[in-house]
Amino acid sequence: MAVSDTERSPTRRRQPSNAKSIVGLTGPAYLWLIVTILLPLAAMLYFSFLSDVPLPGRDWQVTLSNYAAFFQEDFYRTLMLRSLRLGFEVALWCFLIGFPCAYVLAKTIKGRWREALFLMVIIPFWSNALIRVFSWTMVLRGNGMLERLLDWLIPGFGSLNLMFTYEAVVIGLVHSYLPYMILTCYISLSTIDDDLIDAARSMGAGRLTVLRRIILPLSMPGIVAGAVLIFVPVIGSFMEPRILGGREGTFLGTVIEDQFTSVFNWPLGAALSFILLACVLIIFAIFQPILRRAS
Amino acid sequence: MKARPTNMLARIYLGLVLAFLYLPILVMAAMSFNSSQFYMLPIDWTFDWYVKLAHNTRLLESTRNSILVAMVTTVIASVLGTAASIAFFRYEFRFKKVLQAALFPPIAIPWLITGTAMLLFFFWSGIGRGLHAMILGHVALALPYVIIVVSARIKGFDPDLEAAARSLGASPWQVIRHVTLPYLAPGFIAGALFAFAVSFDQFVISYFLSVPGVSTLPVEIYTAIKKGFTPEINAISTLVIAFSITLLVIVSRFYRFGGDR
Amino acid sequence: MASVTVSHVNKSFGEFRALDDVSIEFADGGFYALLGPSGSGKTTLLRQIAGFSFPDSGEILIGGEAVESLPVEKRNIGMMFQNYALFPNMSVFDNVAFGLMVRSTPRHEIKARVGEALELVRLSGYDERKPHQLSGGQRQRVALARAIVFRPRVLLLDEPLSALDKALRLGMQVELKRIQREVGITTIFVTHDQEEALTLSDKVGVLKDGKLLQEGPPRELYERPATAFAATFLGDANLFEGHVEEGELALSDGTRLRATAPLAGVGKATCAVRPEKMAIAEKGEPLRADHNHLEAELQEIIFAGNSLSYLLRRGDIHLRVFAQNRATAELQPGQRVRLTWRVADTIPVEA
Repeated sequence: MAVSDTERSPTRRRQPSNAKSIVGLTGPAYLWLIVTILLPLAAMLYFSFLSDVPLPGRDWQVTLSNYAAFFQEDFYRTLMLRSLRLGFEVALWCFLIGFPCAYVLAKTIKGRWREALFLMVIIPFWSNALIRVFSWTMVLRGNGMLERLLDWLIPGFGSLNLMFTYEAVVIGLVHSYLPYMILTCYISLSTIDDDLIDAARSMGAGRLTVLRRIILPLSMPGIVAGAVLIFVPVIGSFMEPRILGGREGTFLGTVIEDQFTSVFNWPLGAALSFILLACVLIIFAIFQPILRRAS
Repeated sequence: MKARPTNMLARIYLGLVLAFLYLPILVMAAMSFNSSQFYMLPIDWTFDWYVKLAHNTRLLESTRNSILVAMVTTVIASVLGTAASIAFFRYEFRFKKVLQAALFPPIAIPWLITGTAMLLFFFWSGIGRGLHAMILGHVALALPYVIIVVSARIKGFDPDLEAAARSLGASPWQVIRHVTLPYLAPGFIAGALFAFAVSFDQFVISYFLSVPGVSTLPVEIYTAIKKGFTPEINAISTLVIAFSITLLVIVSRFYRFGGDR
Repeated sequence: MASVTVSHVNKSFGEFRALDDVSIEFADGGFYALLGPSGSGKTTLLRQIAGFSFPDSGEILIGGEAVESLPVEKRNIGMMFQNYALFPNMSVFDNVAFGLMVRSTPRHEIKARVGEALELVRLSGYDERKPHQLSGGQRQRVALARAIVFRPRVLLLDEPLSALDKALRLGMQVELKRIQREVGITTIFVTHDQEEALTLSDKVGVLKDGKLLQEGPPRELYERPATAFAATFLGDANLFEGHVEEGELALSDGTRLRATAPLAGVGKATCAVRPEKMAIAEKGEPLRADHNHLEAELQEIIFAGNSLSYLLRRGDIHLRVFAQNRATAELQPGQRVRLTWRVADTIPVEA
C-alpha cells in the first residue's frame, strides 16, 4: 500500500477511487463467490420449479408441485414445526447456560485468567463439529458414561438410555453452539461500563433489579445475535440429528439431505431448501436492526 | 483478593460449563486408549487402535485428501481475501457496502443449503464432484473469515507509518517490504490458519461434493459412524480434534477472537 | 542544510481551498512555527513541503532547487508525526536506522550514526526496546532521532508535542530547541498551541482559512498583531471597537482612546490591548498623559496563585486584566475602578 494523499484536515481523503485497482483486488474473490454461492443458489431456485432434473434424456417440465407438496402434505408442515421448535429450544438452552457464563467471564473474572478461560470456551466452537457430536455417543448411550456417573452418584438409579432421542439431539446441538452464545453475550457485556452497575446499586437497586433493568436490556443485542446465529444453523442441521437422534432424528434438514443423497428427488430437495432459506432470510430480516447494532 | 461466596459460585459454574464442553471429548480420547471394544471400565490401556489406524488405507487416503484440500484452500483464500481486504481499506467506492454484505451469506446460510446447491450446480454445469469441487466450496466458506481477520488487522494500520517510511527516503517497494507487509503478517497468518481450520474441519460441504472413493477425513469418519462405532474412529477423531485445537490455539496468538481486551 | 521557499502555492480539495496563494521564506537554520486553528491549512502546507501531496499551482524550493514535483522520498526531508509513527515491528535501533538503511549506508556507519543520534536525544542504551515498551516522551525522542539521523535538509514537525501531557511537553520543548540548535537544521513546525509556537520558534507564521495572515519573530507578532484574529489567537486580547475621530478611537459611549500612532482614515476601527498591559489604578493615582484611562465595573476576581485575573465590564464591553499577585489594594467585585495603560500598548488591528 503506497501512501495515498491523506490530508488530516479538514477532510480526510483517500485517493480518488481507482476503478482498475478495485476490480483487480476484489474481482477474483467475488467472482469466486458468484460461482460457488450465487450461481448454485440460482440453479437451485430453478430446479425447485422443475418436475425432474433437467438432463438430456429426462422428461421434465416447469411445475409448482414441489412447493405445493410442502403446503399440502401435513408431513412437511409437521417437520417444519419440529425443526423450528428444535431451533428455538436449542437457542433457549444456549441462552440459559451461556449468558451466566458470559457474565461471569466478563464481570467476575479478571486479568490473565479471563483471557485464558475465554479462549477455552471459544476454541471448541471452531474445532471439528462432527467429532464433537460423535463424542456424545459415548456419553449418552445405554451403559454409557452419563448413566454410570448417575448410577455412581445415586445407587440404584436404574438405566438411562438417552441415545437416539430428541433430548440427545438437543444436548448435542447445545454443546455445538453454546460457545457462540457465550461469545456474543460476552462482547455485549464487556461493553457495559461497570460504573453503570455501581450507579444503579448506589440508587438502591437490588441485584435482580440491576440484572433486569440494566444488564439484560444493554446486552440484548448480544443475546439476540447469539440466538439468531444459533437458530439458523440448527433448523438446517442434519448431521447431528442423524448421529444422535437415529429414528427420532427426522427434521427438515435430514429430509432435505435424503432428497439429495438417497431418494434423488433433487427438485423436491431444492424446493425444501428454498423454503428453509426463506425462513432464514425472514429471521435475518426481522432481527437485522439488532444484529447490526451487535456487530 | 478475598473470595466472596458469589465469586466462588461463579467459578464453580464456569467450571461446570467447561466440563460440559470438554468432557465428551475427553471421554472419547480416553476410550481411544481402551482395549475393550465395548468401552468397559476400568480402562485397559492400549495403543492398539492407533496401530490399526496406521494400516487403515481408507482413512489414511482421506486424511491425505483433507490436508491437500485444506492447503490449496488456504493458499487461494488467503491471497484472494487479502487482496480484497486491501481494496476495502484503501479505497472508498460505491458498492463497497454491498460487497462487504455479500460476505455474510457463506457464513450465515446453513451449510446444508449451500452444500446441496453446490452439489446440484456443479453436477448440472459439468464442474462435477470430487476434490476440485470441494476446493471450490471450501474457498467460498473460508474467504469471508480471511477477509474479516485480515481487515481487522489492517484497520489498525496507521497510514502515517507509510508516510514516515517515505519521508525517511524509502521507495514505494521498500515501504511495502519493510513497513506494510511486516505489519500485515500476523493478520495474514491468522487468516491463513483460519482458512486451513475451516477447510480441514469442514464436513457438510465435503459430504455433498464427495464421490465414492474420493472423500475427506470428516466424510470418512461420518460414514464409519453410520456403520457403527469403532474405537478406531475414536483414535482418528482424537487425533483430529487435538490437531484442530492446537491449530486454533496458534491462531489465537495472532488474532483475538471476539472483543477480548 | 537548506532554506525553503514557498511561493504562490494554491491547493484545493474539491470546493475547499486549503491553501490560498501562500508565500513564505524559511531561512536556513531557522526554527519556524506555522500556527493556526484546525482547518487553517497549516498541515496541508507542511505536507506540500514534505511532498505527500502536490500543490495545484505555485513553487516550492528546497535549497534553491525546485521540488514541487518530486515525491516525498526524493526530497531528503526529515519528518516527525503527530503520533510518532514509529514502526511497531522494529526496535528503537531499527527505527532510527531505517532512513540510513534505505540509503544503503554501510553497516558500521549506520551503527555509529544511530548511536550518535540516540545519544543526542539522550536515549543511549534503549537500542533493543520496542516502541510499545517506551513512554510517550521516549517515543518522541526516538521519532526525532529517526528524523534527523540521515542529515536531511529540512526537519518538518507535525504537532509533535500534542500527544504529550503538559509537564512532559514543557521538558520536550526545551530538548527540541537544544537539539535543533545543536544540529542547526532548518525546522518547520506546525502547531495550534500559541504558547508552544512563541516559546520554540524564532519566526512564526499565522494561518487562517488557507491564507498566511502575518509572519514575524514571536515577540513582534505578540506585541504588534496585525489583525484581531492574530491578537486573540496569539495570547489574550481586549478588543475595542469604535470609529475614527481626529486620529483617535471613539467608543460607542464617546470615550476616546489613543493608539500607538494616530489612526488614519475614517469610519470603523478596532484596537487591541493585552490584558497584562492594563492595570487597575490605585486610588488617588494621578492621570498620566501617555496613558489611556477607562472606568469599568469589576465583576469577578480569579485567583490563580502567583497571578490574578480581573474580569470587568463597561457597558457591553467585557474586559480582562492580568496582574501579579502583589496588589495591595483590597478590591471587591461590584466596585467601580479606573483602568490605565500606555498609549503605546493600544494596537490598531484589522477587524
